Amino acid sequence: MTGSRVALFIALVVSAILAQVTIVNRLPLPAARPDLVLLVVVSVALVEGPLRGAVVGFLAGLTADLVPPADHTIGRLALAFAVVGYVAGMLEDAEERTVTGTIVIVGLATAGAMFAYAGMGAIVGDGRVTWQSLARTLPAAVLYDVILAPFIVPFVARAVRWVDVDVVVRR
Amino acid sequence: MLMLTAFTLITLDFRAGHSGPFAAMRGVAAAVFGPIERAVTAVARPVGDAFSSLGHIGRYKREVADLKAENARLNAQLRTTDADRRQLAEMQGLLHLAGRGQFRVVGARVVAIGRSLGFEWTATIDAGSGDGIRTDMTVINGQGLVGRVKSVGPTTSTVLLAVDGDFSVGARLERSGEIGHVDGAGSRPMTFTLLSAQTPLRTGERLVTVGSIGERPFVPEVPIGHITEVQRTPGALTRTGIVQPYVDFTALDVVGVVVAAPARVPRDSLLPPAPGKSPTPGQSPSTGSTPATKPNGSASPSPSATP
Repeated sequence: MTGSRVALFIALVVSAILAQVTIVNRLPLPAARPDLVLLVVVSVALVEGPLRGAVVGFLAGLTADLVPPADHTIGRLALAFAVVGYVAGMLEDAEERTVTGTIVIVGLATAGAMFAYAGMGAIVGDGRVTWQSLARTLPAAVLYDVILAPFIVPFVARAVRWVDVDVVVRR
Repeated sequence: MLMLTAFTLITLDFRAGHSGPFAAMRGVAAAVFGPIERAVTAVARPVGDAFSSLGHIGRYKREVADLKAENARLNAQLRTTDADRRQLAEMQGLLHLAGRGQFRVVGARVVAIGRSLGFEWTATIDAGSGDGIRTDMTVINGQGLVGRVKSVGPTTSTVLLAVDGDFSVGARLERSGEIGHVDGAGSRPMTFTLLSAQTPLRTGERLVTVGSIGERPFVPEVPIGHITEVQRTPGALTRTGIVQPYVDFTALDVVGVVVAAPARVPRDSLLPPAPGKSPTPGQSPSTGSTPATKPNGSASPSPSATP
């Protein structure tokens, strides 16, 4: 991984986190909001494979754990996004890149991240995590992320190609 | 490896609670990202406002060409954009409520909303320890209770919103004075639990906060919401009802942090006038205007930070 790619991923993750808390979370959407950080992690994992996907996911999640107004045990989003980055990278290896395949991966990643986050919440005794809240939020969150996926995933892939012209992007 | 690190972090942070190295990490993150969030919102908000006012500008220009006499009036109108007017109205509402309760508030604007995959309802406001904000202060706006300050950075603070699943506040029914507690439940509606098993609970009854000891985290008499539905659970010791909050948590902008409260707030004095029927008989004259002088000195609210 070249230095310019590292810089690109840092820029993508930081801008995704800031856009999430200042713009996306303010949108008056019912039940849930799309998660830009998750979409960026999945997009990076689809380009870079499971190992780097997990590392980027971990660091992105850890940053999201720390940035205000986050108010939960540090490491929970790091764990959730690391798992998502790893699994998304694995799934991408197994099949040809199609639009449907990408959408399925994003949907699974959203559900996986929420279950991982909620599961850790149950372990540390977070009163906010209940079956009702999960059941209410999950379908809407999956729907929003799937709608945004055709815009974010190709954008990240193109950005990687743009900063790294001589490196062949894994497809 | 990463999973192990994450688990270690979770364990350490969970054990350490509000002290230790992770609290310091969070403090550093608040110091770094807080100003950036403020800046991004400052940039992003006028962009949206500009788009919404584009249509008006085009129409006004034609009018100016036709009627030069109206030029001055139109210029004045353009200067006071819709966004400014809305913000002004919110600020006035906040000052009105704070004035009636004799609260001293620090005005602030919401710069970021936190969700953490939908399980968390928190907000960053653009006032911090430098503005006199401390943890566990009540946050209100013109409609009523917004939440309480959870953590404070140098220039920003994190507010736990009243709809968050971790939020709980002592509440009192408007008429009967019976007490209970209101709990946030995330994406599901807030609930009110009445402690007394004998008192009936009716829909439409309004709720205000019960003050905490030393007015932290909650000052008394702040309107919370009204009961929309009474839940009947056979065999339960307490009665519960669904609460419709007065504050619209999806459109938060101007809020106030109560930094000082008077020794005593008149009962039910902060509730808006009841629709249809007259409010509580004893207190109705005091709802309109605040007496200009009071023995305890703090006559009018002074928002020390302009948003």
